[in-house]
Amino acid sequence: MTRKPRAILAALAVTGIALATLGPQSSVASSHREAPLIASDPAADNTDLYAFVSPDRPDYVTLIANWIPFEEPNGGPNFYPFATDAAYNINVDSDGDAKADAVFRWTFKNIDKRGGSTFLYNNGPVDSLDDPNLLFKQTYTLESSFNGGPFKTRISNAPVAPSRIGNASMPNYEKLRDQATVQLQGGWKLFAGQADDPFFLDLRVFDLLYGGDLSETGQDTLAGYNVNTIALQVPFKDVALRGDAKRNPVIGVWTTTDRAKVRVTGQSTNGIRGERVQVSRLGNPLVNEVVVPANLKDAFNSISPDKDAGIPAVVKRVTDPELPKLIEGIYGVPAPATPRNDLVEIFLTGITTKANGPIKADLNSQLNNKDVNAKRFRPSEMLRLNLGVPVADQPNRLGVLGGDLQGFPNGRRLTDDAVDIAVQAVEGAAQTGQIVDALAAGDKVDANDNQFGDTFPYVALPNTAAVNGGAGGGQALVPRGAETDSPAPSLSPASAAASSDDMGIGSVIAVAAIGGLALALILATWWFRRRRTTPSPDDTVRI
Amino acid sequence: MRTPLRTVAVVAVATVALLGAGAVFGLRSPAPASQPSAAPATAPDRLAATIARAQNRLRELPRDHETWAALGLAYIEQARVTADPSLYPKAEGALKRSLSVRPDENATALVGLGALANARHEFAAARGFATDALRANPYDADAYGVLADAQTQLGDAAAATTAIQRMLDLRPGLAGYARASYDLEQRGEVASAMELMRRALDAAADPADIAFCRNQLGDLAWSTGDLAAASSEYAAGVAASPSYLALLRGRARVAAAWGDLAAAVTDAGTVASRTPTPDTLMEYAALLRLAGRTDEATRQLTLADAAHRLFVANGGQDDLTGALLALARGDAAAAVPLAAAEWKRRPFAEVADVLGWSLHALGHDAQALPHLRRAVSASPRNASYAYHLAMTLLSLGDHDGALASLRQVRALNPYFSPADGPTAARALSALEARP
Repeated sequence: MTRKPRAILAALAVTGIALATLGPQSSVASSHREAPLIASDPAADNTDLYAFVSPDRPDYVTLIANWIPFEEPNGGPNFYPFATDAAYNINVDSDGDAKADAVFRWTFKNIDKRGGSTFLYNNGPVDSLDDPNLLFKQTYTLESSFNGGPFKTRISNAPVAPSRIGNASMPNYEKLRDQATVQLQGGWKLFAGQADDPFFLDLRVFDLLYGGDLSETGQDTLAGYNVNTIALQVPFKDVALRGDAKRNPVIGVWTTTDRAKVRVTGQSTNGIRGERVQVSRLGNPLVNEVVVPANLKDAFNSISPDKDAGIPAVVKRVTDPELPKLIEGIYGVPAPATPRNDLVEIFLTGITTKANGPIKADLNSQLNNKDVNAKRFRPSEMLRLNLGVPVADQPNRLGVLGGDLQGFPNGRRLTDDAVDIAVQAVEGAAQTGQIVDALAAGDKVDANDNQFGDTFPYVALPNTAAVNGGAGGGQALVPRGAETDSPAPSLSPASAAASSDDMGIGSVIAVAAIGGLALALILATWWFRRRRTTPSPDDTVRI
Repeated sequence: MRTPLRTVAVVAVATVALLGAGAVFGLRSPAPASQPSAAPATAPDRLAATIARAQNRLRELPRDHETWAALGLAYIEQARVTADPSLYPKAEGALKRSLSVRPDENATALVGLGALANARHEFAAARGFATDALRANPYDADAYGVLADAQTQLGDAAAATTAIQRMLDLRPGLAGYARASYDLEQRGEVASAMELMRRALDAAADPADIAFCRNQLGDLAWSTGDLAAASSEYAAGVAASPSYLALLRGRARVAAAWGDLAAAVTDAGTVASRTPTPDTLMEYAALLRLAGRTDEATRQLTLADAAHRLFVANGGQDDLTGALLALARGDAAAAVPLAAAEWKRRPFAEVADVLGWSLHALGHDAQALPHLRRAVSASPRNASYAYHLAMTLLSLGDHDGALASLRQVRALNPYFSPADGPTAARALSALEARP
């Protein structure tokens, strides 16, 4: 059977009737159940992860993870609960085996007083989290598990800061947020609720890979949007290997979202105790959302880091990444020679001299932890942080690239300019030692639109003004949702299939490494170049 | 093979007929306002936002194959929600564009083409697209969704179940739960089907998705004869998304079962005027006939026929609807070959039922029986199928068999049809009164 869309169009032209007028009768066939296929699942969508030594509490690490991107703060009935059928996890690997040694698990529940008669969030001003005017709220339970042990409840029925509906509804939102910031015994601090999206970037920066035109940068794609934030502050000893951050200062962090495994029969392992299915995963910025090629994105979201090194399909994507070739094609910056053992080392192991890799520096690999068993070390994609690097007096937004070792990719602070670091990577400076002038300005978005706080949870209060409101709002925003659904195609390796690469280090690979690898390489090399005092004879990175 | 000219002529005539009839009968007049919504404003429509973002992005990056594919998929979802098939050509254009930019390793575009094929009842083609997509990306849960939808309709229930389980194992969520629920419903496991649909509702974020889940929950409640539960599910769905018209079909069915024919006619009329597909028009016609408005009923059937001919002239193939239309006209002789042709392509329970019922209407009860039994055994909790089997057994003189089936109808859902329900009740009384 063939369809003839042209035929009907011709016919409609003949009769002078627009297709829209004809409407549904033209081709909706009846009698089979059409269920949603690409149902949006924002509550499962990890957007960003931050990990840093707390500036006001230097023996504590702060971990901040965000979900549900692009929350429009335009008031009315729009609010953004955490999913009640999912578990949100922050995972920490302190011994480098790519398995979590500490897991912090949040589960949420609704307290819904709306009944069937209203969809309003509140029916009057809300002055406290207990205000009866607040018709819908959430609470959470935080559990933790260490070294594979059973989960222990740390707090239950903790309050979630509500979505910020507007100043009329919530005249003192800060008070509500303060009420939702919890301190536990042992010094843990917790927060869950809405916040300004701390990521700042012009997503169109990635357009340069299509058109080579950076003329329209400088617009913070995420300005004005909110996210749902989970923040946790714990003492070093709770996440460091053997509780000793002096001997073992490096941790690796990633977040996951999972749901109970379900059988078609309707039976399922109910609750969070049973078998789980991981539906989302995130470590380094930009990797999952923009860099992972489409055909590997689902795999990346499904697997745990300890499986990263065992996916043969991506070997060539790591050792022979496409990004430098794209840059070469567009800007004439020669792509470095392959196979890129340097990328593999830098990105998947952390920066260390202990993996016999080309970069002779020690920054943030678990291999540098004194009590790590190197035989059990497993390359994997995660955000690695050396807790031993002291808080910078003057944080540099370019992090390690700017000579500030406390910043990304040594963990990630709220103020770290992840995209400009990526832009510098795109500039290809690591391999050539020369900046591509046309790209030197990066995305021209150097800071968040809202000021971050000095104390936990550090993120800014949620925005209240509609992002796209007003008659003048004709900007062609390219928000991250589009990116999340569809990674930039030019970042996927169109030519990878044609390349015959060296599979010699096939055991050391990971999904999702390409762009991150390139940027981490440049970053680390740059840093290395700045820091190194004596050249190393077997250094394969040309500087 | 139709010549283009002839196609043009047929389509033009059918179009004029349909729109002419619509003008005469007020089909396109503004629909009556639906029940006032409790929501003061609508929640964000993420699908619309996705489409807008994708369009903006593609304006700047016309070679972004991922976004082309995402746009195509979003159009298909939009078509499903709004029952507006004018989005199908748009979806097809976007998906083909994606494939032309990136012919290889483009699982998302293949998934989109598969979903589109399913929507157009080209189930074998959909199965092929899904299989290709899985070759490119074995972790693609959506591809398993497309595969499951196709296998269900192609009559391979076991393969469908396997695909759904794989989908659930990869990504539990609304899309997987909804399919698992349908799978269970097909097999008559209504309680489990409801449980999974509640889970889907928990996972639903968009108003349209909430409305979909509420509608399914309403239909499931209705299928067990629980009119009150059905009614409250439909009401909750309308509150979430007043424009989700399937809810009004459900509400009309409940109203008719409660004897409020006027309300039923109003709701069915709203649905038929906004989405004048053959099935909504036929449902409207049936209610009009019950209300004694036979002339109007006939006109709706004429419109349904025109809509179907337009669909066929457009290269569409849906002989099931053709058979149902013929049955509604009382032309069983025309219905049988159509249903048989559909059965050949799609050995699905509903097709077996329509084929058997057509054969019964033609007086070929012995031939009808195996088809009707197949429908009942594939879908054992469908009151309508049981009713068709009972009436056929009755006319074959198998009073005990008919009695058992009619009791089954009563146990399942005595309100299964405002027209046939009373007939079933009378027949049951008569059989039970036998000495």
